[in-house]
Amino acid sequence: MPTITVDGKRIECKDRQMILQACLDAASPLPHYCYHPGLSIPASCRICLVEVEGLPKLVPSCQTPVRDGMIVHSTSPKAIANQKQVMEYLLVNHPLDCPVCDQAGECLLQDYSYQYGRSQSRFEEDKHKKPKKDVGLNVLLYNDRCIMCTRCVRFTREVSGTSELYVDGRGSKEEIDIFPGKPLDNKLSGNVVDLCPVGALLDKDFLFKQRVWLLKEAPSISPVDSGGENIWLHYNEGVIYRIKPRYNAQVNTWWISDDTRYSYKAVHDEKRLRGARRMQYGSQIDTSYSKAIEEADAGLRAIAKQNGEGSLYAMLSPMMACEEAYLLGKYIRSIDPQAVLVLGPVPSTGQNETFKHYISGKTTFTIQAEKVPNAAGIRRVIALLGGPTADLAGLADSANSKAGWIVGGYLSNWVTDQLKLPKGFKIIQDILPTTISDRADVLLPAAAWAEKDGCWENFAGKIQPFVAAIAPPEGTRREGDVYYQLLGRGGFYIADEVRAEMGEPFATVKLPDIHAQAPEPEFIEL
Amino acid sequence: MKDSDVIVLDEPRLSVADQFYLPQVLVGLGTTMKHMFKVLSGTDIVIQYPEERREDMPVEQGGMLLRTYRGVHRLNKDEEGRVKCVACFMCSTACPARCIHIEAEESPWQDREKYPAKFDIDELRCIYCGMCEEACPVDAIELTSMYDIVGLTRQEMIFDKEKLLRIFDQTVEDEPM
Repeated sequence: MPTITVDGKRIECKDRQMILQACLDAASPLPHYCYHPGLSIPASCRICLVEVEGLPKLVPSCQTPVRDGMIVHSTSPKAIANQKQVMEYLLVNHPLDCPVCDQAGECLLQDYSYQYGRSQSRFEEDKHKKPKKDVGLNVLLYNDRCIMCTRCVRFTREVSGTSELYVDGRGSKEEIDIFPGKPLDNKLSGNVVDLCPVGALLDKDFLFKQRVWLLKEAPSISPVDSGGENIWLHYNEGVIYRIKPRYNAQVNTWWISDDTRYSYKAVHDEKRLRGARRMQYGSQIDTSYSKAIEEADAGLRAIAKQNGEGSLYAMLSPMMACEEAYLLGKYIRSIDPQAVLVLGPVPSTGQNETFKHYISGKTTFTIQAEKVPNAAGIRRVIALLGGPTADLAGLADSANSKAGWIVGGYLSNWVTDQLKLPKGFKIIQDILPTTISDRADVLLPAAAWAEKDGCWENFAGKIQPFVAAIAPPEGTRREGDVYYQLLGRGGFYIADEVRAEMGEPFATVKLPDIHAQAPEPEFIEL
Repeated sequence: MKDSDVIVLDEPRLSVADQFYLPQVLVGLGTTMKHMFKVLSGTDIVIQYPEERREDMPVEQGGMLLRTYRGVHRLNKDEEGRVKCVACFMCSTACPARCIHIEAEESPWQDREKYPAKFDIDELRCIYCGMCEEACPVDAIELTSMYDIVGLTRQEMIFDKEKLLRIFDQTVEDEPM
């Protein structure tokens, strides 16, 4: 393993690694705009140039492989002079409209200008103004802020493989553009916004909604398919404003699909169920949540007593966390040891969508066909609990099932004409109204995935935890809290506690230490 | 929450002297008398507000300088009478009392990207520190020397964009931008 010295710090590198990547891995980053570990290396922004002892000129650290014993200087007078120059040239035509730019706060141009640039501009001529463009369904392009790092162009070629973006013109007239009549509308298009190191590519959905420094983040998992894409939920004061990808080498690398990116909208849907309801003389009436829970419990117990074992069933939704499914299974089996557990409907588009590199044809990203996040996890929990199980069709035909606990929680309407449930007493826990929620004997409004803790298992058998970002809206309760109350446990639902109880493989599921890698920000005296 | 996390607090018990209340009444009366003598002897100054105002008095006699006073906010207008603010949220970020609430939108004008669709300042929550004024990159928010603002409800004291622009019209002659 080669070892190099960067500014006096010894760094262990992998073979044939580039200097910049080695520095990034060792958490002592060098400045860079065009380099992205998920894309090819053009070495075009030139801010990462470093001095290597023995070489006469500065070399781009993003494109220079390490050699054992290499001595690199990024803070030598020559390297600093280059950094200052690059920053000055980039800012020559930059409009400096940070107050109205959505990228302000997470902009590399701002950060590097502060760290490596000059405090004042020496440019006296008029700035070159380039037009604002609407490049696609979700993306706006502010050409005047662009620094031509071409990350977005490389992304559309190398990851989405759709090649919508290209570079038009040369020199100061150079700009990013789309081909006439071919907008940027692939299913990964939102990623170019995350890639853009400056505020040139912006998300239309997030535009002007919130300044980024006000946002807090919570690690979560994509709820739209079984891929288990790792995401950050960015929220402030109880509102989720956007979703950003969270790097996970084994699952989604740096990217997420647009369906995942805009999935948070269901959480703030105006139609969300609020306030518990129960059936009285054939029509639903409002009731208090604790009353509704008591009613549900009493109803199930009465029917189980009347009809004997095997008369209850629970439909565990693939939108539930494994912990919740486990608690509900435990509860229903505590009333009726022969209660049937069944997995809810699993919608699927039939075929995975894959994205390929434009030349090599290598698969770069896959969107799973299964449009729910936790079907595998629920199957695992049902197996863990043992006892009688069934599929949905078999459940409807069985004459035994007299009362059931049905959990929805899907982000869109899940009740299709094909769905058949046994007649009789029904308790429905859901977040959005459906045709069956109006006919529920007890309706318990539940929490969406962003409002609770838990874990989901993706299609490949990887169990990943997610964390609540915001509190559930008024008149709703987390499923876990309801089950805790029904099981007679004190306090509120704690996902870790349930996971420990469930045993392997759930007990060891843990969030990766996300903040360990980030270096402490350096205090600069003004 | 676990039961061990719950702390039960009892009301403090009153001592025998406290239960008579009379000693505390006398202590309070003493404070009143102290101030009365101070005013009579001339060490404390009493002015008949609002007929007499401190800004009309010399500073040495307890008056105040309006020039440096930080009173209610105003939102400045540009030459065309449009709100100068670009909704950058710098003021609400700098605000230690968290009393500025802005909702940004795409502006209806060609030369500007963004403007505040809503701009509310809770004047009751505000501590009049002037950080918003210092943070503003376009000199859109300023504190005026107006201090005698009143309202009948709390809601009335949350000043919206229109009201803040009206304060600009009221004060711009005495205090130009």
